[in-house]
Amino acid sequence: MITRYAAELATAGTTAALGIVTMIGATEYGIGWGKSGPEPGTFPFYTGLIVALASAGIVAQTVVARGKFTTPFLTAAQLRPVLAFSLPIVAFVIASLVLGLYVATALYLLATMVFQAKYRLRVALPIAVAVPIGLYLLLEKAFQVSLLKGPLEGMLGL
Amino acid sequence: MLRIGRTIAVSAALSMASLAAAHAWQPTKPIEFVVTSGPGGGTDNFARVVQSIVGKYKLSPQPIIVTNKGGGSGAEGYIYARSSSGDPQKVIFGTNNAYLLPHVVKTPFKPDDLTPVAAMALDEFLLWVTSQSEFKDTKSYIAAVKAKPETYKMGGSQSKDTDQTLTSLIESVAGVKWIYVPFQGGGAAAVQLAGGHTDSNTNNPNENIGQWKAGQVRPLCVFSTTRLPAGPKVTADMGWGDIPTCKEEGIAIDRFQMPRTVWLPAKVPADAVAFYVELMKKVSETPEWREYVTRTVQTPRFMTGAELKAFVAEDDANNRKVFEKEGWLVK
Amino acid sequence: MDGIASLLHGFGVALTAYHVMLMVIGVMLGLLVGVLPGLGAPNGVSLLLPLTFTMDPVAAIILLTSTYWGALFGGSTTSILFNIPGEPSSVATTFDGYPMAKQGRATEALSYAFLSAGFGALLGVVLITLLSGWVARFALKFSSPEYFAVYFLAFASFIGLGGASPLKTIVSIGLGFSLAAVGMDSISGSLRLSYGFDSLVPGISFLVAVIGLFGLGELVVTIEEGLKIDGIRARLSLRDVLRTAADMPRHWLALLRSGAIGCWMGITPGGPTAASFMSYGLAKRFSRKGARFGQGEPEGVISPETADHAAGTSAMLPMLALGVPGSATSAVMLGGLMIWGLNPGPMLFIERPDFVWGLIASMYLANVVAVVLVLTTVPMFAAILRTPFAVIGPIIVVVCFVGAYTVASREFDLWLALAFGVVGYIFKKLDYPIAPMVLAMVIGDKAEDAFRQSLIMSKGSPAIFWANPLVTTLMSLGLLLLLWPLIARLVAVARRPIP
Repeated sequence: MITRYAAELATAGTTAALGIVTMIGATEYGIGWGKSGPEPGTFPFYTGLIVALASAGIVAQTVVARGKFTTPFLTAAQLRPVLAFSLPIVAFVIASLVLGLYVATALYLLATMVFQAKYRLRVALPIAVAVPIGLYLLLEKAFQVSLLKGPLEGMLGL
Repeated sequence: MLRIGRTIAVSAALSMASLAAAHAWQPTKPIEFVVTSGPGGGTDNFARVVQSIVGKYKLSPQPIIVTNKGGGSGAEGYIYARSSSGDPQKVIFGTNNAYLLPHVVKTPFKPDDLTPVAAMALDEFLLWVTSQSEFKDTKSYIAAVKAKPETYKMGGSQSKDTDQTLTSLIESVAGVKWIYVPFQGGGAAAVQLAGGHTDSNTNNPNENIGQWKAGQVRPLCVFSTTRLPAGPKVTADMGWGDIPTCKEEGIAIDRFQMPRTVWLPAKVPADAVAFYVELMKKVSETPEWREYVTRTVQTPRFMTGAELKAFVAEDDANNRKVFEKEGWLVK
Repeated sequence: MDGIASLLHGFGVALTAYHVMLMVIGVMLGLLVGVLPGLGAPNGVSLLLPLTFTMDPVAAIILLTSTYWGALFGGSTTSILFNIPGEPSSVATTFDGYPMAKQGRATEALSYAFLSAGFGALLGVVLITLLSGWVARFALKFSSPEYFAVYFLAFASFIGLGGASPLKTIVSIGLGFSLAAVGMDSISGSLRLSYGFDSLVPGISFLVAVIGLFGLGELVVTIEEGLKIDGIRARLSLRDVLRTAADMPRHWLALLRSGAIGCWMGITPGGPTAASFMSYGLAKRFSRKGARFGQGEPEGVISPETADHAAGTSAMLPMLALGVPGSATSAVMLGGLMIWGLNPGPMLFIERPDFVWGLIASMYLANVVAVVLVLTTVPMFAAILRTPFAVIGPIIVVVCFVGAYTVASREFDLWLALAFGVVGYIFKKLDYPIAPMVLAMVIGDKAEDAFRQSLIMSKGSPAIFWANPLVTTLMSLGLLLLLWPLIARLVAVARRPIP
């Protein structure tokens, strides 16, 4: 179980780190006040600083009022469905980059429906194939927008 | 079976095409036009006009898809070209930023990452003042700016781009100094001039025509060797041809123009380049192209091969001088 | 009076078969994304945006705004029928709408919701019609300092009026600003914060961020909550609808009060979500029936719905006239305007009257279309929620990533959408407000540009922000809103009797 306390601290820590990264990136372009207003790095530098300071403030608030944050952020019972839902999404993104969005869509829909929702193949397969074909017709034919394609489309000459 | 059939069909098409136009290379899948500006920008209009003309006259055996990659002032599109090295199905549309951008911005692409195809038109620059000012001609305005350096405001598109380069050129030849205010683009610069928040700008004709018609801004001179073609009157008493050249008015700049350019990625076959040169040449000879150039008050000028190379070299050297003087060059 | 003439001209522009067809399509698509809990109005509009790149701007904006109206209506449908707010702004509608539905008064609740929403929307459009002439006269007075002042006002009102923790709001805005700074800086002409990565050169698209933050993030939250869909069948009989309609005038006070709150929150960028909560809260406090709120009281449906839609529609005015979005959805549309080559801002009313008045006229028409469609199609859309989530969930995921890719055809954006999905999930669970981050991403760099342009104009003197009555008023209003929580506390302390 992840407590709200831990989640608050981890999030504030991450935003603080992002703030500091922004500040470092900004120093490259000058962070002073030139003769005609601020230099290019000034705004990113100070927004980074503000993010870092506010994050530090959240950490302080959280630590001081620790007792208020004992509620769970994510229980073990919640973790399972969340992971079961989000890990296939990561796999879908990777598959899209390798195989193209259309093929990845079909595989992703098929996998989630068959392995997670326990649909029979004859229900899942038509849906998994119909969605990318529908997308293809809508995007490439109706709106002339090209989606990310992979080796299969190349073989089909699309 | 299907693939064999396709191969036969493709080779048949190829042999017919080579008989007809005497070059070996033809596109085999949809051509991608990569636009180095956002939708609605000058480069975007340019590419979409070419696309519609190619479609109308069926000049290409394959359809054309336009994608906008205008991030980072066009750097995105040129970086994309660099990563598509050797792919003759991608055509990049731009301006002189294709070879000028790497001088002033730290970008991963270099001009060598592009193969020149053609320049199709030259966009003109004018000196405009707001109608709320008393200035009716170049001489009185320049004299006023000279009398009070760093008082008058020159609006333009973003820093280190064509507008500021031209401003810097005028400053050095006329011995004046403006406050240069960079806006998000020519459109914003036009609105600010109309509202009298800036004193002048160096917009392209197309960017200020709306405000000129409404009587909110006034053209003083054009940075070209000759006057613009006469055409119909824009306001009650003036047309484009009535605007004097800046040289006539005493600003010693022969011309300042921005080419509309077409490129391929590096390392593409020579006959693919020949295919696109031929294609663009045909486009530039259509009445639709002439209509587009006239409507946007650009100067039609088709350049390719050695002529284009010489133009690029000269334009590059001229601009570099300004960048050097202003200290804009990136290390 | 010229407002009326312009409006008639606008009706001429909007009333073509093609445009009415787009309204119908837009409203239907909007209802769809509104009904689906994973997709919201900002999401639906940003998914459609790339498809409008090649359209005429008038047609494009009609499609997008109609989608928005549809989504607002669709969101309330699921709030009432399933206790699932399809939209963040329809959360408050669940408080009394769902109890009503459980008592078997679903038709009544839906009719109250749609009719009051329609009323709120029309109030918003009438306001736009009346104020726009005045706005156009100020057209040319706006320069960089005034723009900065307006952006400042927008940010200030978010900090001042938002219910979330101030520190978390600041983190959210700050991150939005930092993300907006990535890429080309037009004032200096240099590339910022790309850290040597090619993928960061074009900057980070707020559209991709919205898809991740709202779409993916919300889906994971839904999954985690176990997704209890406890549907109630909706059957709308015309008789019930008419009876409810006849009953509406009795609630005139709630309608007007909520409408006023909604319009105010739409014009000062508080947004529909804040408006609906504020309206519900005030109604509960001031209505004679306040005690019965939460147990199925019609006024508890009317108040948030009227304010929600009044805010949604009136948010179009600051977007068009000042370039400042009043809601997350209008922030997405603002991005659209610039993509279509229109410069949102005062000049838009002068340069493109056909666009502005065509849009305003379409708002009257599309809201009527929406009320009619929503009353007839509710059962159909409700059926979608009976589709098992195991099917509809992954399809929403696919739609999100396809949407993210079509924004700019960048592979990197798929990763970005995923990352923003994680951010959206965590922020939502830890009560970080997301809307300020989107607002900061959309107008953050513009605010910075305006600030720096102003100082270039004044040669570095900040006095330019107090140089004329217009900019002074805007800046003072912004400061007032920024310090409002502090002022309210001081007033409360001062009033307390000394013992």
